Amino acid sequence: MISLRIDGRLIKAEEGERVLQIAIREGIDIPHLCYHEAFEEPYGSCRLCIVELKEGGSSRITTSCTLMAREGMEIKTDTPEVIKHRKLLLELYLAQAPLSNNIKKLAERYGIKGTRFHKTLNLEDPLGGKCILCGLCIRACREIIKASAIGYIGRGEATRINTPFLEENPDCIGCGSCANICPTEAISFEDRDKRRIMRSWSNTQVNLKICKLCGHPFTPEPLWLKVKEKSTYTPSEEIEEVCPNCRIKIVSKRLVKPYSL
Amino acid sequence: MRVRSLDDLKAIAQRALEKLCGRRIRIAVGLATCGIATGAEEVYSAFLKGIESLKRDILLTKVGCIGYCREEPIVNVVIPGKALLLLSRVRPEDASEILKNLIDGDVPREKIVCRVKEWDHLLEKIHYGDGFTDVSLYEDTPFFKHQRKIVLRNAGIINPEDIEEYIAVGGYRSLYKALTEMTPEMVIEEVKRSGLRGRGGAGFPTGLKWEITAKSESDERYIICNADEGDPGAYMNRNEMESDPHSLIEGMIIGGYAIGAKEGIIYVRAEYPLAISRLQIAIEQSRRYGLLGENIFGTDFSFDIRIVKGAGAFVCGEETAMIASIEGETGRPRPRPPFPAEKGLWGKPTNINNVETWCNIPVIVYKGGEWFSKIGTKNNTGTKVFSLVGEVQRVGLVEVPLGTSLKRIVYDIGNGCPDGLKVKAVQIGGPSGGCIPEGLLDIPVDYESLKEVGSIMGSGGMVVMSERTSMVETAAFFVSFTSEESCGKCAPCREGLKQMLNILNKILMGKGSPSDLELLKELSETIKTTSLCGLGQTAPNPVLTTIKYFKEEYEELIKRYD
Repeated sequence: MISLRIDGRLIKAEEGERVLQIAIREGIDIPHLCYHEAFEEPYGSCRLCIVELKEGGSSRITTSCTLMAREGMEIKTDTPEVIKHRKLLLELYLAQAPLSNNIKKLAERYGIKGTRFHKTLNLEDPLGGKCILCGLCIRACREIIKASAIGYIGRGEATRINTPFLEENPDCIGCGSCANICPTEAISFEDRDKRRIMRSWSNTQVNLKICKLCGHPFTPEPLWLKVKEKSTYTPSEEIEEVCPNCRIKIVSKRLVKPYSL
Repeated sequence: MRVRSLDDLKAIAQRALEKLCGRRIRIAVGLATCGIATGAEEVYSAFLKGIESLKRDILLTKVGCIGYCREEPIVNVVIPGKALLLLSRVRPEDASEILKNLIDGDVPREKIVCRVKEWDHLLEKIHYGDGFTDVSLYEDTPFFKHQRKIVLRNAGIINPEDIEEYIAVGGYRSLYKALTEMTPEMVIEEVKRSGLRGRGGAGFPTGLKWEITAKSESDERYIICNADEGDPGAYMNRNEMESDPHSLIEGMIIGGYAIGAKEGIIYVRAEYPLAISRLQIAIEQSRRYGLLGENIFGTDFSFDIRIVKGAGAFVCGEETAMIASIEGETGRPRPRPPFPAEKGLWGKPTNINNVETWCNIPVIVYKGGEWFSKIGTKNNTGTKVFSLVGEVQRVGLVEVPLGTSLKRIVYDIGNGCPDGLKVKAVQIGGPSGGCIPEGLLDIPVDYESLKEVGSIMGSGGMVVMSERTSMVETAAFFVSFTSEESCGKCAPCREGLKQMLNILNKILMGKGSPSDLELLKELSETIKTTSLCGLGQTAPNPVLTTIKYFKEEYEELIKRYD
């Protein structure tokens, strides 16, 4: 164990633990968009979690998600310098994602109502106006779901996120983890009839599994297969292809009906 | 043949020396990319035809580039026993005249740039001879006079596709010395003593970097040569590889030995096809001669090199992006730490150095760190190659000791701007560098002085700009470059540079306001401070330095709108 100071508070931590993680655990608020506890390695793309690090007589500004804790570190999360850069970054985000309410709310917390920068809205990009390219959706799809259905396209200011060649991608299992993890609610999909349509991902269509009892679609079929394959728990045949609602009915019936009868 | 001992090396050297200055007339055409672009291949063919029709035993060969780009195509000729002569602007139609003269022991005077009595390859000296005393000496020629060649010691003199010529001028003797007389620690110590700093631009002490990588706990280590040169107007590395690939390879083998790596990778941009093909030839030759591969010089040290071609992204010159690219990922930088020295390629400790850094190594090992440290200044030892381009009369690749003043380079070597124009500024360090105004050209070229005036050493691009250049346009040009080449991973670089270019274009269109200038400065500071990698951290430099030194040009454009 080592000890470091964040905003004056003495905190114990494991050596090498990332400072942002420590701060979150300790209830110290550092804004961040591209960090998520689901991932072991930090990504460092949003830059909002910058802090001032004082160590050995010198100080510098660095991102706390990538910063590994060392004995005697002194961290300040809201110096005027840090706030200044964070505000400017938020202005850049406001120009990039003018349609995102989450970005607006975050900016308002720092007293920013508008941006001095030119707003861009790429109407051809289904994520345009909301996506800030933090990469969480790509990482979730690749590292956690292991589907790698989406990725970055292009580079520099032309960067966007979608399926390869903007074509429907059969690798997508329709799990929606991308939409779930997105900090700016940029990703959308809808369930229509027996299909899930990933509107953000080149309208990739995924079949939905139909409940064998009530006939209603209840989950993307490839996701259902993946869970079945990965899970160590084998449900009884009776409930395996049944939607959650019908399952509840079956299980509750079982509970009220004693086995002996 | 497999080289196993120093005697083997010496035997090859003896044989190859005959090619360099033997009993035959030698005609060597400068066939690096710059020469080829000005028609050197046609010149080579014309000589070939001429020699065939003369039926004389004349040795026609190709060499790399001696750096005097303005005078291309350059041909050098050696008449046995006489000085080597550098001929400039040779056209195919000149070949027969030159040949006729050579047979009579003479050379057309109007083609001669200078003569070389003796060439110091540092590990070996070649004495050509006297003669042509009416022609100025190499060391008295303004373009060459202030230069000192360490990295380019062989460039333009030896055939880069012939390992034997490299051996003739002392090649692979440093490797022999390192493997047979030195421990890896001793090699690192020697590099540390030399004071050599990374020539890719950041100037990190090379010996220290090696030591950190060597000491990182691991079963495997890698070394990488960064040959992804991409700054606009910079072509030092290209020439180093095209003209003397073995120097790089020998440097890397020594580095592999010192660091404890078995594999080296040269990451070279695909836009350098000639450099790639010469490197491939050189690697194959080294393997054939047993200088790469298993049990080099009969020791238990084994090492090999492979080439990885870049796919056209500037950011892959950044080391973590380069590692990602080699691993088959998109070239996007990764957060540091962990630094490559601890966790690099395939998660193993990795040492990355620029081409030029590696090329210095054989000299340091052979001549000693002490010798090297006396060149240049105290904390900036050795030389640096610059591509002197833009509005300058003597365009070319120049190698000068660190600490040489910018004035000396721009005026004494480059002879200032053409057409009687005045020099306005010099842009150093590529798109991440800064514009240094004429008034500050007294500063010495070293890592610290350049940083002090808002620029960086960078890899060695040096663009001279005359009084007719608009500095706001210059800043916009470099920002458009970095904005396009930004990988797009982190927001300040991707979004910030895009907005910066917007503002600059607005000002250039005459629609800027005084608050735009303030916003530019504010934005620059945030991009510099918060960007993930070196690209973003330095990209605002052209804007910051032009605002600092040429504010009136911005104000003039803004005033027009008010």
